[in-house]
Amino acid sequence: MKIIVAGGGRTGSQVARALVALGHQVIVVEADHGRATALAAEGLDVVSGNASVATTLEAAGALVADVLVACTDRDEENLVISVLAKQRHQIPKVIARINDDANLWLFDDFWGVNAAISSARALVDLVAPPAH
Amino acid sequence: MHVVIVGCGRSGSALATRLDAGDATVSVIDHDTETRRHLPAPFRGSFVLGDALRKAVLDEAGIGRADAFVAVSSNDNLNIVVARVARDVFHVPKVLGRLHNVEWAPIGAHLGLQMVTTVQTTVDRLHLMLQHRPLDPEQVFGNGESLLVRSSVPDYLAGRPISEFNVEGEIQVVELSRGGHSTIPGVGTTLRDGDVVSFIVASSALDRLKGFLGGSWDR
Repeated sequence: MKIIVAGGGRTGSQVARALVALGHQVIVVEADHGRATALAAEGLDVVSGNASVATTLEAAGALVADVLVACTDRDEENLVISVLAKQRHQIPKVIARINDDANLWLFDDFWGVNAAISSARALVDLVAPPAH
Repeated sequence: MHVVIVGCGRSGSALATRLDAGDATVSVIDHDTETRRHLPAPFRGSFVLGDALRKAVLDEAGIGRADAFVAVSSNDNLNIVVARVARDVFHVPKVLGRLHNVEWAPIGAHLGLQMVTTVQTTVDRLHLMLQHRPLDPEQVFGNGESLLVRSSVPDYLAGRPISEFNVEGEIQVVELSRGGHSTIPGVGTTLRDGDVVSFIVASSALDRLKGFLGGSWDR
């Protein structure tokens, strides 16, 4: 699959490496130029720029991507990237990272998010599984 | 009228202060408690400390009864997200926002949000002012028969009544800018050095107006 990982921080870069290891075609979009250079140096495909910007997302292959993972450490940024990816570029599957559990209520279809995950919520669910 | 403003920086606090001085009730949201000092002591509205993405924070600011919502935080992504939430989740009738970065304008437009792009607006205005020659029309009416023009007045006209410019059917003074303030001048207004005057002028009378303004127009 062709996968765009928006945000190449600790989580994003691990997601990208793991997906590459599984044989997927992955492009990372990273706004911090230094970090983008470092990721490229280790062999990842990187587009340097902000994924909230339509032209940057297009440069990363948004028009042919199968999946986008919005993985920055800012929830408002992940929402903007998601809605852009879904509505403007019509990427079939959009997955978003939730940094702050209090923002869970925003991550749904309205923002083009097909699935969202919060690490805090995932841990809580393991400790105390939801009843349903 | 109740207005919710996100961001208590220079723009947010200035807008809040102006609205508060009128009839509006105002709630300003900011995640930084330090920004509260931007609001003047007599401010009657409320300052809500918190993250504007949180429903509880928006509720506390009274978004449910808001007539207008303005997103002017320093974070363009946040402004887009909260503006869209205000319009489509809380159905606030009038929603406006501000973007610093022109590259974010397309996403705002795509979502149908009314956003002011500050850098773009400033550059457009400065570019226009740089290119502007006196008596270039600011606005053209009909098929060009009537023009709106602005000009500084030559200093030798200081002390003369502004109404002397008026020529029935040809030239009409409509506005006076003095010291950064704009007024609609009365008949008794006299000109001062540094005044900038707006005229509605028939295109056939443009040369006549240039004559009145002496050499000031071809500097």
